[in-house]
Amino acid sequence: MATNIIDRRRINGPQRSVEPLYAQSGAAAADPFARGRADERALDQVRPIFIKTGPLAAQPAEHEALSSASAASGTAFYEQGKIRISCAVYGPRQGRRSNARAGSFDCDFRYAPFACSWKRRSHVRGADEKEISLILEHAVAPAIRLEAYPKACIDAFVTVIESDGKAATIAAAINCISAALADAGIEMYDSVAACSMGLAGARWVADCAQPEEDAALCSMLIAYMPGADEITYILQHGKTTPEQTDQAVQTCTDMCARVYAVICRYLQSSLE
Amino acid sequence: MAGELDVVTPGRRLGLANEYEAGSGTYVRNGIIYSSILGARTVVAAAAAAGGDAGQEGGGKATLGVSRRNAKFAIPVIGSEVLCRVVRMNPRAASVAIIMVGSTPCQEDFAGTVRVQDIRATEKDLVQMTASFRPGDIIRAEVISLGDQRSYYLATTKNEHGVVFAQSAHGNAMVPISWEEMQDPKTKVVEKRKCAKSF
Repeated sequence: MATNIIDRRRINGPQRSVEPLYAQSGAAAADPFARGRADERALDQVRPIFIKTGPLAAQPAEHEALSSASAASGTAFYEQGKIRISCAVYGPRQGRRSNARAGSFDCDFRYAPFACSWKRRSHVRGADEKEISLILEHAVAPAIRLEAYPKACIDAFVTVIESDGKAATIAAAINCISAALADAGIEMYDSVAACSMGLAGARWVADCAQPEEDAALCSMLIAYMPGADEITYILQHGKTTPEQTDQAVQTCTDMCARVYAVICRYLQSSLE
Repeated sequence: MAGELDVVTPGRRLGLANEYEAGSGTYVRNGIIYSSILGARTVVAAAAAAGGDAGQEGGGKATLGVSRRNAKFAIPVIGSEVLCRVVRMNPRAASVAIIMVGSTPCQEDFAGTVRVQDIRATEKDLVQMTASFRPGDIIRAEVISLGDQRSYYLATTKNEHGVVFAQSAHGNAMVPISWEEMQDPKTKVVEKRKCAKSF
């Protein structure tokens, strides 16, 4: 009798229990890329890139009158693996702060509430978004010929639709802004291309996705102008030896040059 | 291959500065001309660039430039001719919104100021603001200074600068009848304005 009564007020556990699985210790944990990467990329391979500039301009003609009235000067949509970013550039227009000698470049970086697959973000702009906005400003502003725009202000609004790896997302945002600025016809010294890497064990792994970044000990982001051969921004999280940093800068600039070629090829084809 | 080279991206090397003049959409660094915008590379021969006047400086060099089909914006610089709408006035200055620079409409308005002493070239001390402009007038002016934090300083001292379009108190478009008067063709009311010389 007693065995037939089920206590419905409580959550009844399974009859049988098993031991939980723990993370493997040893060689596999020390080098998470010993058996290659989850998406079978080479260690120095960037995820495939898709760029499209001027999405509004590509709409049918009926939208033209609407969009030309208040639309951005330049827009770009950028994908790199799972990362999806859109950017709108406004200006040169009259800014709040004005400087008679040179224009100013402002950046507003935001994650969409659903951008991070592991948690829902608040609509309120967080401290990390403000920090990344500043990083983007510092990385891209050296490429813009601000002295050509006295008293004017150029604004870039970046929205992350989907993020996959924090450093990789920042790098993708820089690439997206570069494409949008070129689309807007803003005078620039060069386009900025950016690339990120993570240090796993003793090896640098390019363009880490989120699980890879979680496994990495250190991350490095470099924004680079290949035409002018100038690095505009370096961001490093974690501890490395000087030799490792040296190696990372070398590899990262090479990869930036490859990303730059992709952006330039797209921009050229967009006008033809 | 030649077709691909015609479209250039920012930072692309175009030529040597001692062989070419740097035109619009380019910049010079270390004696090399680079493209600064995304557009089509253009080479204008020296004779055409100088407007047929061979005596100009830089004669003999062709001009390298990069042009865009749709120039989307213009920003006022010193000396540029602008078209603006008068927004508000006080006895010392008129606030205007710059709506066009040269022949390019601005995407967003820039703020400008016409001070009372910059309205006419002569008898500046006798100029009255209310006898020159009214809010809503469209005026043609020249940028004389990048001005203060907020606005550009404009002047309408030249003959061809001043009010180009104005409505009377009755809402009719007026026609200029002298340098300082405009008349409503329907009601025949005469209002004072600093008129622009019509071309």
